[in-house]
Amino acid sequence: MTERERLMKRISSYDFAVIELHIYLDTHPNDKAVADKLADYNAKSNALRKEYEEKFGPIQAKRDNANRWAWISNPWPWDNNEEGN
Amino acid sequence: MWVYEKKLEYPIRIKNPNPKLAKIICTQYGGPDGELGASLRYLSQRFSMPFPELKAILTDIGTEELAHLEMVGTIVYQLTRNLTPEEIEKAGFADYFVDHTTGVYPQAAGGFPYTAASMQVKGDTITDLHEDMAAEQKARTTYDNILRFCDDPDVIDPIRFLREREIVHYQRFGEGLRIATDKLDSKNFYAFNPSFDKCEVKKDKK
Repeated sequence: MTERERLMKRISSYDFAVIELHIYLDTHPNDKAVADKLADYNAKSNALRKEYEEKFGPIQAKRDNANRWAWISNPWPWDNNEEGN
Repeated sequence: MWVYEKKLEYPIRIKNPNPKLAKIICTQYGGPDGELGASLRYLSQRFSMPFPELKAILTDIGTEELAHLEMVGTIVYQLTRNLTPEEIEKAGFADYFVDHTTGVYPQAAGGFPYTAASMQVKGDTITDLHEDMAAEQKARTTYDNILRFCDDPDVIDPIRFLREREIVHYQRFGEGLRIATDKLDSKNFYAFNPSFDKCEVKKDKK
C-alpha cells in the first residue's frame, strides 16, 4: 500500500462514519450525542483531507487549493495503480 | 446539485482479473436490483414526498447509491483488465466483449440492458417507501448470491460492504415509514395518498 492509499484509507474510514451518522440523523434529528460524534469525525476527516490535498491534489475540484493539473492527474478512483491503469 | 469527490466510498484494489465474475457483478451496476436503479428510484421519488425527513432520507440514500454505482463499476473494471482473447473466450465473456469490449455497461447478469421498468415511482408516500424497503432487500439478496460465486478476498471485501449498506438503508426506510404513518390519521393509513390528498395529515405537535 502506498502512502497515498494509506492516507485515503484513513480518510475513508472517518468519512464512512460521517455518512452513516448523517443518514441516521435524518430519521433521528434530536439525537445530540450522535450529532456531536458526527462533528468529531467530520473534524478528523477534514484535517486528514487537508493533508491529502496538499500532498496528492484535490479531492473536490472546488476546494481553494484545486490545482488544474493535480485535479486531472492519475490515479482516478477506479484505477488499479498510481499510473492510472 | 451534486459535487464530485475524487475518491471511492470504500477502497477497492483487485489484483487478479476474473471476467466471469465481472459479468455477474455487473448486474449490480445496471440490473433490476442494481445501484443505478436504486439511485434513480430514490432521487425521483423524493419530489413527491410530503415530509421533510423523507425528502432528506431519499436524497441522502439516493446520493450514497451513486457512490455504490461507482464502486460496482470499479469492481467490474478492475476484474476485466489485461485479458487475452483466449481468457475472454474461456471465461464465457465473449458475448459481453463483442458488444462492449471491456467498457462498463449497465446491464443485468442475463445481458438485458438497464431498464427503468424494473423500478417504480408511484407518487404515494406509503407505496413508495414500501417499494424502497423491498428494493434494499432485493439488492441484499443479489449481493448474497454474488458472494456464493466469489473466492477472491479483494472482491469479497467490498461486496460485503455493499451488502451491509443495503441492511442499514432498509432500517432507515423503515424508520421513514414509521415517521410517515405517525403523521397520518390512524384510520386512514391506506385510504388516501398523503403525497396527493391534502386532508387528514396530523399537525406536528410542538
